[in-house]
Amino acid sequence: MPQTNFDRIFHALSDPYRRAFIERLTKGPATVKELAAPAHVQLPAVLKHLRVLEEGGMVVSEKVGRVRTFRMRPDAFRNLASWIDQREREMEAAFDRLESLMAATPEQKDH
Amino acid sequence: MSGALDHRTFVIRRLLPGSPAHAFRFWSDHALKRQWNSCHRDWDVLEDRFDFRDDGIEHLVWRTPEGVVQEMLAHFFEIAERERIVYAYTMRKDGRSFSSSLVTVEFEGKPSGTQMTFTEQAMFLDPRDGDIREKGTGLGFDCLAEVIQAALAN
Repeated sequence: MPQTNFDRIFHALSDPYRRAFIERLTKGPATVKELAAPAHVQLPAVLKHLRVLEEGGMVVSEKVGRVRTFRMRPDAFRNLASWIDQREREMEAAFDRLESLMAATPEQKDH
Repeated sequence: MSGALDHRTFVIRRLLPGSPAHAFRFWSDHALKRQWNSCHRDWDVLEDRFDFRDDGIEHLVWRTPEGVVQEMLAHFFEIAERERIVYAYTMRKDGRSFSSSLVTVEFEGKPSGTQMTFTEQAMFLDPRDGDIREKGTGLGFDCLAEVIQAALAN
């Protein structure tokens, strides 16, 4: 996995407000007003967090008239969320355990 | 659910300590295999069947702490002792398959150990489909938590 992808995801998720916005946006698009409502922070701060998420490639926004709507990018979690990568990582971890166990276990004489 | 599928083949090569017979033991012996193969210590094992022979079945059913029933069902097609294991398996979550794979494990004796080649040809349903999307963040954050835990453990 490219380091840059890790970096932006971890940075985006390093803030509880940003995590809450992502949590909300994974359920569907939302306007800035809708995102700000449960956040208990001022609108400029909300916009700042959303900009971090947008620059980090996690979300995209679109302005229609005076209303800006944010949505998750379909590939936002691609690398992290992929079952395929997860499967491969799990197998690598399992084989690490296999290697240690084999080294720690004596060979049987009858083979 | 849409028909979005993802196919992937991945190959993992490892030089293992010991002879091919030694390596094969860890794949063919039920207790030995469980020592390295299952990584979810906090999952309740509801069923654990391991019938290691041609046309035999391996069947594991777990309940996760969140109450989700996870299942792995495998069918061994070809077992060549100390040389090769060919099997297919499917992974299910709450009774629904989300991936099916064909796996070949090969063991080759080397002066310094055993070269194991693990080849998995997998078909994954798109995790963005179906109930995952309805549940919102489920998968993404589950995986993230695993990544973070793995990173902390290293």
